[in-house]
Amino acid sequence: MIRHHPTPETLLAHAAGTLPAGHGLVVAAHLQGCARCRAELAALEAAGGALLEDLPPETLAAEAFAQVLARLDEPPPAPPPPPRQADLSLPHGLRLPAALRRAEIGRWLWIGTGVRYSRVRLPWAPEQNVMLLRVAGGRRVIHHSHGGAEFTQVLWGGFRDETGHYGPGDIGEADETLAHQPVADPEGCICLAALEGGLRLPWLTRLLGG
Amino acid sequence: MPPVTALDYPAPDASALAALIGRVAASRDRTAYATLFKHFAPRVKAYLRRAGMGGAEAEELAQEVMLSLWRKAESFDPARAGAATWVFAIARNARIDHARRRREVSFPDNAPEEEGHAPSAESLTLSAEREARLRGALGALTPEQQQIVQLSFFSETPHAAIASALNLPLGTVKSRIRLGLSKLRALLEDAP
Ligand SMILES: [Zn+2]
Repeated sequence: MIRHHPTPETLLAHAAGTLPAGHGLVVAAHLQGCARCRAELAALEAAGGALLEDLPPETLAAEAFAQVLARLDEPPPAPPPPPRQADLSLPHGLRLPAALRRAEIGRWLWIGTGVRYSRVRLPWAPEQNVMLLRVAGGRRVIHHSHGGAEFTQVLWGGFRDETGHYGPGDIGEADETLAHQPVADPEGCICLAALEGGLRLPWLTRLLGG
Repeated sequence: MPPVTALDYPAPDASALAALIGRVAASRDRTAYATLFKHFAPRVKAYLRRAGMGGAEAEELAQEVMLSLWRKAESFDPARAGAATWVFAIARNARIDHARRRREVSFPDNAPEEEGHAPSAESLTLSAEREARLRGALGALTPEQQQIVQLSFFSETPHAAIASALNLPLGTVKSRIRLGLSKLRALLEDAP
């Protein structure tokens, strides 16, 4: 059962298209598994539709329709080539979210005792700081604060921090005001995470020995 | 073709618009498409202008959005979204794509991949009525809340825009948005 959902203002920003691409990807991963948030998003997008419908229309150039008509039979643009995705040998039964299907996925890199990291690169937004993390069971992390908004979607296993327990399907939104001390569940944890700002490692990786 | 304005014809209602998209999907009906163009192109252009684009840029991208509407008509599912909602999502994705193309990277089609559900009769009615109910609910918000929702959808940097339009400290914007959303939800739940 999903206990942690995106905040209402995050879903609104997703509906409006104003979330950074990396955070939008993590929210999309959540939506795939959460019917409640999909319904919420549908209502917010309908609000976008209602606002669009009520906008004072702006006249187009006289030839606009003729120009578009002339292009209707053009072939649509070719889809981008499939991205390179490393084989992450995921636990049995775990599939990566569909939101990652156009992302490049790097192999696991060892970055500390019990912690591995795979860079997720969005070809359409390569500056975004997105990653998969695999943390072994029982690892603790140093008490710390964030530099910016950090979204974490649990794909497998779970972790616990001051704000509660996060299991598969749960999303955590942490901002600079939150000081974390999360611990991975005994079976470990695989997460998709997006961080604001430059390339930094998120809290899950700043581990002390178990 | 005379200049396209939205004022010289009676606006089709939501179910008429949905039926027109259905005709484009089913038989590449150019007459239906012309009516859709007349209705939506000026609104899409207005949306893109609100997002900060110049007239020529908005004009060009509005044409691209209308072309996508032709190409994607088959993906329109009236059980899932009303016509304006569907067009809004296409225009929103084009806006994101355009902002990225300025940095010369291409953006894949962002349509969420969802499991297919057979639409129930109930969900069909819901999506056909949803836009109308939302318009009513949006109209019942306070002017300040209306402004918050509009800026959330139309500004590239909504939090900063809301703070400056309403003269609020940036730190309180989130809670104001949340308040506006819960008011909107309450109005929708009260709606018949
Ligand atoms: Zn949810």
